[in-house]
Amino acid sequence: MSTSTPSNPPTQATSVAPAHSDHDDELVKVHWLDRVPGRGNPAAWPLGLAGALVLIAGTFLSWSYTSDVLGDLSVNFWPGGVQICMIVLGLVALVLLLAHRGPLAGLGAWLDTATSVRALGLGAVAYMLGALGTIAVKSGGIININPGGWISLVGALMLAASGLMLVSRQTKDPLFAKTSSWLEICTIIVLMALVLFGAAYALDVGDGASFVLFLLFVASVAWGLSKAGVFTWIGLISQKNRQVLMLGAFAVAFLFPFTQGGSDENMSIATQVLIFAATALGLNIVVGLAGLLDLGYIAFLGAGAYVGATLSASAFATIDWKPPFLIVVLLGACFSALLGLIIGSPTLRVSGDYLAIVTLAFGEIFRLTMGNLDGNNGPVLTNGPNGIPAIPDLNFFGFDFGQPHVIAGITLGRFANYYFLLLVIAAIIILVFTRLNNSRIGRGWVAIREDEKAAEAMGVNVFGLKLFAFAGGAFLAGMAGTVKAHHDVSVTPDQYIFLESAFLLAAVVLGGMGTVAGVLVGATILKLLPEKLRFVADYRLLIFGLVLVLMMRFRPEGLVASQRRKLEFHEDDEELAQRIEEVHLEEAEAKA
Amino acid sequence: MTATDTTPVSTPDSSGAPILEARGVTMRFGGLTAVKDVDMTVHPGEIVGLIGPNGAGKTTFFNCLTGLYKPTEGEVRLLGEVIPPKPRAVVMAGMARTFQNIRLFANMTALENVMVGRYCRTSSMALTSILRGPKFRREEEATRARAQELLEFVGLGSSAENLARNMPYGDQRRLEIARALATDPKLILLDEPTAGMNPQETKQASDLIFRIRDSGLAVVVIEHDMRFIFNLCDRVLCLVRGEVLVQGSPGEVQSDPRVIEAYIGGGDDDEDDDAAGAAADPTKEEQQ
Amino acid sequence: MTEFLQQIVNGLTLGSLYALIAVGYTVVYGIVQLINFAHGEVFMIGAFGALATWTVLFKGQTGLWVLPIMVLGAVLVSVLTAVVMERIAYRPLRGAPRLAPLITAIGISVFLQEAVRLFYPGAKSKLSFPEIDVVTGPGIAVAGLNIQRAAVFTVGALLVSAALLWYFVNRTRLGQGMQAVSQDPDTAQLMGINVNRIIVIAFALGAALAAVGGVAQGLLNSNIDFRMGFLAGLKAFTAAVLGGIGNIQGAIVGGLVLGIAESMATQFIPGQFGGSAWKDVWAFVLLILVLVFRPQGLLGARVVDRA
Repeated sequence: MSTSTPSNPPTQATSVAPAHSDHDDELVKVHWLDRVPGRGNPAAWPLGLAGALVLIAGTFLSWSYTSDVLGDLSVNFWPGGVQICMIVLGLVALVLLLAHRGPLAGLGAWLDTATSVRALGLGAVAYMLGALGTIAVKSGGIININPGGWISLVGALMLAASGLMLVSRQTKDPLFAKTSSWLEICTIIVLMALVLFGAAYALDVGDGASFVLFLLFVASVAWGLSKAGVFTWIGLISQKNRQVLMLGAFAVAFLFPFTQGGSDENMSIATQVLIFAATALGLNIVVGLAGLLDLGYIAFLGAGAYVGATLSASAFATIDWKPPFLIVVLLGACFSALLGLIIGSPTLRVSGDYLAIVTLAFGEIFRLTMGNLDGNNGPVLTNGPNGIPAIPDLNFFGFDFGQPHVIAGITLGRFANYYFLLLVIAAIIILVFTRLNNSRIGRGWVAIREDEKAAEAMGVNVFGLKLFAFAGGAFLAGMAGTVKAHHDVSVTPDQYIFLESAFLLAAVVLGGMGTVAGVLVGATILKLLPEKLRFVADYRLLIFGLVLVLMMRFRPEGLVASQRRKLEFHEDDEELAQRIEEVHLEEAEAKA
Repeated sequence: MTATDTTPVSTPDSSGAPILEARGVTMRFGGLTAVKDVDMTVHPGEIVGLIGPNGAGKTTFFNCLTGLYKPTEGEVRLLGEVIPPKPRAVVMAGMARTFQNIRLFANMTALENVMVGRYCRTSSMALTSILRGPKFRREEEATRARAQELLEFVGLGSSAENLARNMPYGDQRRLEIARALATDPKLILLDEPTAGMNPQETKQASDLIFRIRDSGLAVVVIEHDMRFIFNLCDRVLCLVRGEVLVQGSPGEVQSDPRVIEAYIGGGDDDEDDDAAGAAADPTKEEQQ
Repeated sequence: MTEFLQQIVNGLTLGSLYALIAVGYTVVYGIVQLINFAHGEVFMIGAFGALATWTVLFKGQTGLWVLPIMVLGAVLVSVLTAVVMERIAYRPLRGAPRLAPLITAIGISVFLQEAVRLFYPGAKSKLSFPEIDVVTGPGIAVAGLNIQRAAVFTVGALLVSAALLWYFVNRTRLGQGMQAVSQDPDTAQLMGINVNRIIVIAFALGAALAAVGGVAQGLLNSNIDFRMGFLAGLKAFTAAVLGGIGNIQGAIVGGLVLGIAESMATQFIPGQFGGSAWKDVWAFVLLILVLVFRPQGLLGARVVDRA
């Protein structure tokens, strides 16, 4: 960022960068921040610097008397993982403070450093309180907190106080920062490496408390950086360097199993996340692009899985034909797509809510039928509720997915094998998704979402495009299903209940309708958190329901929003429309 | 900007084969007859005006022509072929329209809006789009170029990347025309193209309509602005209570006492836009 | 023949239950064009409300006089749930794209189910519903037919509720306000009708009937569980669409037709695809057929065009 040369930014953004979405009434009311004592005090800046340094210094001392809480935090000058998080946060805060005033001031002209320091400071305080609280509770008393912990807490408090006292300046919109392309690519690579490292670390964290602290850390830093406006810039450069980003993302995903040191435990979670994400990406074509609400999508995954299972070499398979797996994949996908056509061609004419109910009913019919075809209530096809167990592992040209393989000295177990296969499937789905989105068909879908009647009057084949999205989505889910059958070893009807469809939909909605990154984020959150947070396992669904309601209320476009979707959900937000237009013009200019 | 003269040039050659022939078009909603036995013929290179008090059934008649409604009786022929009452089939056959209450794709850019109009004249399907072969690139490039060309034709060349919803009202109307032109129509139906425009914009609009005519299209215009319509059109139909009251040259219609009677006696005036809006909204009308 | 009549009786019972729930869908839809997906949960919560009332106030009692108070308890809990739900979750979304309220509804549905499962003592498994004199116990034999006592209660509850509802909608000011809002909310607002209040009343009305349905279900099955709202809700929605969504008489007719159709299908579809294993499948097939081929329902919906 330091090379950012303000080569004729079209307009000097006049508003403070982060104020856009938060509070429209901020301008009218006296902001609570202005009532903070010592606001604007020149001492704020040195206080912040000192706070960050104290925070870091504290991490090098022992936090805990006992060595069995949150990893080992009891050794001086040997910070544990929980402490390293605070070192990182402290360093980020230092950089931002130095950008606020001092040697990095050139950078500070683009970033809303004050708001960002505030976010980081408050995050650090929350983190320290959480960490010290955990130590106190788990090791039986506040007495077990060592001085290092207190020092870091004081540092965090100083940082937060400084953040509250610092006053935001007018900053230039990072949207108009002109940066050299090598810097952009480096940023993307660093970002990807961080994602890889973070994911590996998060999966490795053993206890729930450390995991929650890590999430808190990630959230604080992300919040701080987004307040600073860094994400606006990252969003823009990732648009500009899309190929690099995609390549980087796949490199990261590909390298992930090698970070696991041969352990298959985390890989099992990772494959589950991937299956879920791949299916959700397929659903995103239906919901996010074509705007059709499908509440029975899990049935298409199930259809693929049942085809995979009945044509497998399992002793319980009911069809005595064992074609090679590639054929099975195709058959499963086509069977799913056929179901999609059968259910879609009459129902896609009924619109909106009714379609949701029809698909829900279809999903239930599928599940019940699979549970009934056991020979008593219909032909023997699925063995009823018992399903088809003992599905053997895949075997591609002698490559046995059930056996561990050693590559470059690192053992890759059964789940790692499936992981790579699923990665390929996910890649195919992402490719289909992005390319369709960016084509004549994609434009047709947007037009249908915007105004179906007008689209039809302009000659868009509304019904055809809807049916294509519906059947195409089913095809992709069927494909993933065939692999899932082998991965799961058994296929039973109760894997395909309505709640699973709701989960898939939630991944799409939570992450961001119509974006790939959003769905990946949503799928990861929804699958990973329950695995890691065993202590809330019983409240999982309760929280899930609540999150859905809150998301629709406060951020209906999802965490990683597609700009168009954002506009659709905020029809009367003129400021947002103007801003997105600016982004658009910037991108068009960058392309030219 | 070639033909910017504001007077109708020549009376078109009415001996040629008509582009549009509507015969006995009747539309009933339950007990209400909104359009009754309307005939209309449009010849190549002709600008036909459709006037009438609010609620006279002008927009309903448009909806019958363009397949949004299936007429209860009557048939619509385009270039001699009977066209099925399906919006898409109508567009494919070469008739495009704009809407009275602007129906742009608000969250798309101007360029994208026009590119959607090209949808029915392009053919890239799923596999081509996914594989991105040379055919796809060529077609995409051509679509973009054509859309930009049309934006320039209507005078919006510099607003290509603007979001439709952010554009001024007059520009939105012109963008709708560009989108309709993108479907390569032989005949374009404009539903109140100058509603809500100031005199200067109205002037620009009539220039634009002349240029569209000069590029070889026939035009049918619904309008309330009498001066606009009598300056613009070669022929005018006056619709009252769903029936054609008078038709003829602007001069004839203008001086016909029945037309004046219909406007004054109907108790309507041109400012009553709300009622017109309600009548034009197809969903509302259907419920009535 | 007896078999046939027996299925009619069973169907009417089931149908009355569906009708009680279906009214809630239809009233709300008629006014705000919202499919309140969580309505099945309101029904379920009504049943738990009745059980809670009994457990707290009358544990061990079986007198018939307990029943009205149980119903009152059920209605209170359901109405409260529905009103809070409308206020907190749905009202802020009015005017949002249609996707938003639908997803919200799914969220509420899951949330309510889980809340009951986690916080109602013992609700993780089925809970037995109290036996009440007169309305439970051995069936009544009439002309070779066996009529469950709870069935009589269910049908009776529907008749009383329908009569009250008819009176409310057609004979009270509020009811007429409701009709006005369902015709044209904007104009109704201009005429000085408090649209928000009408919407709340619509939710409350639906909830009250669903709560009565919840009590009936408890008496019929003699047990309740937190999942009971899902299937019942879905079928009641089918009933609402079958009768013509937005149309109150339609919901009642639709419920009865669906109930009878389901009973008949269970009994008379021959071979392997008949019987209780497939009865839900047939109900869903019927739902799809109705939505696709007659979305306006038997008696005609208020709004069909949903572009």
